[in-house]
Amino acid sequence: MTLSGMNISRRKFLAASGGVVATGLVAANLSTLKAVAGGHASAPTGEKGEKHIASSCEMCVNKCGFFAHVVDGRLKKLNPNPKFFKSRAMLCARGNAGAEEPYNPERLTKPLLRVGERGEGKWKEISYEEAFKLVAEKLKEFKVKNENRCSVAFASSEGFQEEIFQYLVQSYGSTNTVRHPTLCLSSVIQGWSSVYGVYPDADLKNSKFVIMFGANRAEAIVTPDTIDFVKYKPEGAKLIYLDPRFTNTAAKADKWFPVKPGTDLAFVLGVINVIIKEKLYDAAFVEQFCDGFADLEAMIAPHTPEWAEKECEIPAVEIRWVAREFAKAAPAAVAYPGRRTSWYVNDVYFRRACAILTAICGCWDAPGGICPKASVPIKNLDPLFPYFEMSDDRIDVASTVKNKLPKDKRSENMPTDSVAYLGEKDGSWLRFRDAIIAQDPYPVEAMIVYKQNFIEAVPNRAKTMEMLKKIKFMAVIDIQMTEVAYFADLVIPESTYLERWDSVHNLAGIWPIATFRQPVVEPVFGTKSMFEIAGGIINEMLKLPELWDDADELEVEDFKYDVVEDIFGKPMEEYIKRQLADHPGAYEQMMKEGVFYLSDQAVYGKTRNPEFRFKTRTGKIELANVKYADKGLNPLPIYAAPRQPEPGKYRMILGRHGFNTHTGTQNNEYLWEIQKENVIWINTQEAKKLGVVSGDYVTVKSSVGEQQVKVFSTEKIRKDCVFFAHGYGRLSPQLSLVYKKGASQAAILEDYLEPISGNAAMHETFVTIAKA
Amino acid sequence: MSAHDTETKQGMVSAIKSLITFNKDIPVMPLIIIGLVLAGIGAVTAVVVLVKGHEAMYAVNREVPWGMLIGTYAYFVITSTGLAFIGGLGHAFGFENFAKIGRRIVVLATLVLLAGFTQILMELGHPVRMIIWMMLSPNFAAPILWMGVFYSIELVILALELYYAFKAHPTEKDHKTAAMLGFAAMVVGTLATSNLGFVFGSLTARPWLYGVHFPLFLVVSGITAGAALLMLVHNIAYKFSIPEEYKPSMDALAKLMGGGIGIMMLMYLWKFLTSIFTQPIGSYESAMALIAGPLAANFWIGEMLLAVIIPLVILLTAKGSTKKYGIAGLIFMIGLYFTRVNYIVAGQMPVMRKATDGSGVHADLSGLGIYSPSIAEWGIFLLGIGVAMVLYFSAEKFLDLKTPEHH
Amino acid sequence: MSQKKYGIVLDAKNCLNCKACTVACKFENGVEVGDEQYRIWVAEKDLKGTYPNLRLDFEPSQCQHCENTPCASVCPTSATYKTDEGVVLIDYKKCIICKACMTACPYDARFVSEVHHAIEKCTFCYHRLPEGREPACVETCPTKVRVFGDLNDPNSKAAKLLAKHDTYQLKPEKNTRPRLFYIIK
Ligand code: SF4
Ligand code: SF4
Ligand code: SF4
Ligand code: SF4
Repeated sequence: MTLSGMNISRRKFLAASGGVVATGLVAANLSTLKAVAGGHASAPTGEKGEKHIASSCEMCVNKCGFFAHVVDGRLKKLNPNPKFFKSRAMLCARGNAGAEEPYNPERLTKPLLRVGERGEGKWKEISYEEAFKLVAEKLKEFKVKNENRCSVAFASSEGFQEEIFQYLVQSYGSTNTVRHPTLCLSSVIQGWSSVYGVYPDADLKNSKFVIMFGANRAEAIVTPDTIDFVKYKPEGAKLIYLDPRFTNTAAKADKWFPVKPGTDLAFVLGVINVIIKEKLYDAAFVEQFCDGFADLEAMIAPHTPEWAEKECEIPAVEIRWVAREFAKAAPAAVAYPGRRTSWYVNDVYFRRACAILTAICGCWDAPGGICPKASVPIKNLDPLFPYFEMSDDRIDVASTVKNKLPKDKRSENMPTDSVAYLGEKDGSWLRFRDAIIAQDPYPVEAMIVYKQNFIEAVPNRAKTMEMLKKIKFMAVIDIQMTEVAYFADLVIPESTYLERWDSVHNLAGIWPIATFRQPVVEPVFGTKSMFEIAGGIINEMLKLPELWDDADELEVEDFKYDVVEDIFGKPMEEYIKRQLADHPGAYEQMMKEGVFYLSDQAVYGKTRNPEFRFKTRTGKIELANVKYADKGLNPLPIYAAPRQPEPGKYRMILGRHGFNTHTGTQNNEYLWEIQKENVIWINTQEAKKLGVVSGDYVTVKSSVGEQQVKVFSTEKIRKDCVFFAHGYGRLSPQLSLVYKKGASQAAILEDYLEPISGNAAMHETFVTIAKA
Repeated sequence: MSAHDTETKQGMVSAIKSLITFNKDIPVMPLIIIGLVLAGIGAVTAVVVLVKGHEAMYAVNREVPWGMLIGTYAYFVITSTGLAFIGGLGHAFGFENFAKIGRRIVVLATLVLLAGFTQILMELGHPVRMIIWMMLSPNFAAPILWMGVFYSIELVILALELYYAFKAHPTEKDHKTAAMLGFAAMVVGTLATSNLGFVFGSLTARPWLYGVHFPLFLVVSGITAGAALLMLVHNIAYKFSIPEEYKPSMDALAKLMGGGIGIMMLMYLWKFLTSIFTQPIGSYESAMALIAGPLAANFWIGEMLLAVIIPLVILLTAKGSTKKYGIAGLIFMIGLYFTRVNYIVAGQMPVMRKATDGSGVHADLSGLGIYSPSIAEWGIFLLGIGVAMVLYFSAEKFLDLKTPEHH
Repeated sequence: MSQKKYGIVLDAKNCLNCKACTVACKFENGVEVGDEQYRIWVAEKDLKGTYPNLRLDFEPSQCQHCENTPCASVCPTSATYKTDEGVVLIDYKKCIICKACMTACPYDARFVSEVHHAIEKCTFCYHRLPEGREPACVETCPTKVRVFGDLNDPNSKAAKLLAKHDTYQLKPEKNTRPRLFYIIK
């Protein structure tokens, strides 16, 4: 079988009946792709010899350090960096598979200009210079036409070169940037920050009692937590895991509670209730560091474990047990914050409750508890950019479009036409999109996108397509033909993380470490990095006077010197040297070892100091949030029951796994062969009711779309919900391994909003399922 | 060149000429043509396989690494040694009925063996390497090494036997040598056959294959096959009316074949009972795959009906009809093919590791390994059959296979 | 002189089923993408129990480097052989792909390599050992499920684990005496 020139898997197509006499089919030409498995392809450079080069991974957010084993100019393998203590010296499946990325037969190699209709897949190859010129021209065009730089929006995703992309944005002066947090973790950041002023980490290495809520650490890899919760789990420690699904984390847990979706808050309130009623909390800590305890005490009174049991379907005795054990283990007890928390409309309240539980037991900034992140002091260059007159407020702030909230009690007292705490650079994807579609209050007509595949990432794919109709020009910078690239007008290939320099970044946490990237191989296809792309575009922009006429001339001159010359005019190594200038020897260490750190030991207790002011209104840990009260929000995490699917419907829940990152890695053969297609988890008894068995195809339908997907009938999920993995059922034919294979989440998820942080509420969609 | 040499040479030429008889009234031309067509298909397949590689063309896989080709190989070479065994009975042990058809036996044994070699050539990934490294770094513990040794010797013995069988004016000494060769062919053939059984019988990992059953079963069924095939080819050579002078030979072959099937039945009985009684791990799954699993059709129709019941019924009711012997032989030879492949495949169907997620193991819903031959494997099978047909029926057509009278 | 005896001690209860080891092995050893092309696997054991009382275990494994080595015994050309340290290797150039070893291996550890055109299987990353590097699967594992070492060296981590814990081996009834030991407690 040949897929776009690649020969894959030699597994035969065997006659199902299997008899010796039955004639089997021989698929022609089954010999396998020879080029990618390291070692037996010729070096592109003719270079000889072996090298081990330190750099860091970009297959997901964790950025684990590695040594790239390069043989004769070709990357053979990525080996974990033993000094990279943040990831406990490991590389996951994706990190290993990353070695294929530069050689991926379908990666983007040349800038492509659309020549057919959008989405038709007809392109003309152009040079990088032409591409830069075109982008600059377009930036000018929309600025001049709308007299508003905000008519061009900039979307990007997390990564080391995202700051470079932001330099490009600031050189242009649009406020309309939209990033990934509101599809991911903005609610957990908001929830914990509303209590402590910061989004902290959990010290799983020392914790004696851990409650995890759906944060599937065995599969949704976050370093070092994924390693610590299993490998370094202290003797006798307990892991309590709440999830409607029996994930691999559930398999590792001491207790698994298949919590009723959307009711984790009731569970936590029940736990807090016991702890307060039985006076198990850390009175001294509360007294010294917390504010609003009395309010909490009053609010929590009715939320007995018996009450909670009715909501969350976890027995009251278990809730009591958890409460007592948690308090007993404190301060080495963790109510795990989590990361992707784009779950429910009231997600921030739930996260607040976890933070409050942590606070009243004093599990703060102590071994085994929740700790503020520390960092390695790296110099941020923070260059100044000109101030441009022709700019406006962010469209998701300025717009009056209504928030889409599920209709039940949870949505009462929630903001309906704004986001309470909107990240200035992050924006809120769903409001952003609605506002663009409504062109309210001004039109956004162009987008520059850096490796964010929002067609597959943002719920309600049909609506994203509607938004794209308003976008007259879209340029996409990426390494592969993502859906967004496929529907773009201009595609600019970037070098992979293995072929480029990335500046130094501090990975904050309990064990902070700094890392960077250097090319381990030369760009295989002569591609450029975001740094070179941004520099190239800015150079072209400087040739267009219309782009600078609304800024102060002197500021533009400074900008030319500080940014254009001093940053983009020099190699990235210079930038890195400047970042590390305060630490003699750090640059050399970085180049050689791929890491820089001051200590590999955790430091506890800096904030457990009466003098310390938390970054909250009161300077204390706010059990009742003062600012929330000002905004008309509930200062305390008030519970209301979530609406439930009507009979015949199921709640769609999401989750990650360790074989792929979002939608970015499925077309890598080494990962694809682990999981070739996604399957929908349906409880065995429900599957029986639906008349389907594992392997059947079903149609999953919501109010915004439908998808066909293979059934996995299993005991591992509650009866009231279904699940399938992200990243399949793709629209881009140049992701041939997963093109139209399996189902897309974005296609069926409804676009509900969590309006305090602006996060998407992705677990609020109900679907019907029918045999396909 | 001396006169003597020339004389010898001329003598040889005339001797060979005397062997070739062009105008024989033997109805084998259509069979030769069919053979050529089959061998042609097979040859084209072989070329494609050599170009594209075995992995791409054969349906054997990680769970079931041995399939139809090993089965076909065994089918041919064991039939050959069965024939040699019968020939040996004639030459060495004075079974006159078999000695009377000695020439045909030797020719058939040799050519069937050659046909078998086509299969192993196409089955092995590196046949040339085999010859080199079996000599340079042999592993004397390995049954396959001995397989190579025994079958090579067997081929040499058969070649010598051929020489003596066709020698124009055999002397008494020649007869003695022929008798010794017949004996040797019998012994080496039996060792070769049972050792081939041991290639499978040595596999402790595969309980169905492991043990003494297959070595013995192969010997018995090989002799049975020899008898069956001889009855078949005589019927073809004599247009299904075998001359009276060979009637006693045919009766003897029929008895041998009937007896062989009888022993095979006994072996089946105990093989299955020991494999099913209290469900021993592995062999139970194999037995059930044959009786009621994916191989059931092949087993009941191919193996039981064609190779056991029908031939036996025909033989028992033949009342001396040599024609019926031929039909029984034909049906048995078809059935026996299933017997060979079934046994080998069944032994590999119980997978070595459970086919759970992530195991990498491919199995059907009942947990058994999956194998059904590919078109290419059928093609190589046709190559073997075609080669056997072309060689043998050409021999019938162009050589005199009638055994000269003893003095 | 004490002869080295290499082996792996595994603590499978720490396995996350993340497949880092399987992907690492493919790159380290240039194993092709393909359903049958793998030296190493992480099997999900059957799910035990019914909702909500469930249990799920994983079993990472590979060639057992059997001390009593059926694959080597049946190899006619001695292509499969054992090093002094007990690592079972294949000399690709001698392999004739008769597949006897594949049928002889009770662990389905072998396959026909599309790269080498010979039978291939786990080598304990033998080429890494002289450089003092651990096998790739051992090194990359997040929770370090596998511990590789010289079982004859009482100070090696592997030997210590083996001494301290109850372990089991796969298919002991085949009397292959595997060099992979799974920790029970
Ligand atoms: S967790 Fe895996 S994908 Fe993420 S950075 Fe680390 S190795 Fe790379
Ligand atoms: S596991 Fe299989 S391949 Fe490995 S040594 Fe044992 S028999 Fe040989
Ligand atoms: S030891 Fe090396 S060859 Fe063996 S499974 Fe591990 S990585 Fe693969
Ligand atoms: S790398 Fe380790 S944790 Fe991951 S699957 Fe392999 S053995 Fe298990």
